[in-house]
Amino acid sequence: MKMIRAIVRPDKTEGVAKALAQAGMPSLTKMHVFGRGRTMGIRIGDVVYDEFPKTLLLLVIEDEKLDEAISIILESAKTGTMGDGKVFVTEVEEAYTVSKGTKGL
Amino acid sequence: MKEIMTVIRRHQVPATKKAFEDAGFPALTIQSVEGRGKQGGIGGWAAEVDPELNAVMSADLADETRFDWIPKRMLRIVVQDDQVEEVVDVIIKANQTGHVGDGKIFVCPLKEVIRVRTGEVGREAVV
Repeated sequence: MKMIRAIVRPDKTEGVAKALAQAGMPSLTKMHVFGRGRTMGIRIGDVVYDEFPKTLLLLVIEDEKLDEAISIILESAKTGTMGDGKVFVTEVEEAYTVSKGTKGL
Repeated sequence: MKEIMTVIRRHQVPATKKAFEDAGFPALTIQSVEGRGKQGGIGGWAAEVDPELNAVMSADLADETRFDWIPKRMLRIVVQDDQVEEVVDVIIKANQTGHVGDGKIFVCPLKEVIRVRTGEVGREAVV
């Protein structure tokens, strides 16, 4: 299993979630985060914004769905300008469902 | 070392914390998150408090209000490899109601842990 952590624009969250649900991946967790990328924020006049509100989407999926999920996220979160976000993939060794007490997603 | 991430019901946090303490795992991180599982989100806060409602509401509310995002708490706890099974058991025992929405547990590999105060690395850095 793999865990995808995607940092996206807050206003794109629903779009990404919907696109993933349509592809059969409705399960995900979102959390509000603040951060910046390699541009170190932006300067407008005298004001420097170095922390932007973003949404972190966290989903765990089977290995064979990884590529599909990533391409869906990249497609639906894209605006083409700076600050669209990043996608990180990490390993998950085991998953359990609490309600049934069973192993697996 | 392993990082165990678990998403559970909000009101189960105190009980889970107590269960962790009793089992000898006092350290954890708690985060407020929103999410949904296979069902694509049902229930809402009422069903969150009384899980029995999930069965009733899902049918009744099929065409009505949907709760896409259900508030949950995410707990992260770092343990040694041989403690994973025990912690998973503790979480399941403290959170299982048998209804949809009890949560998930993810076990992720963790390369390194460093205690900031002393600079200790690895096993000693975890409690």
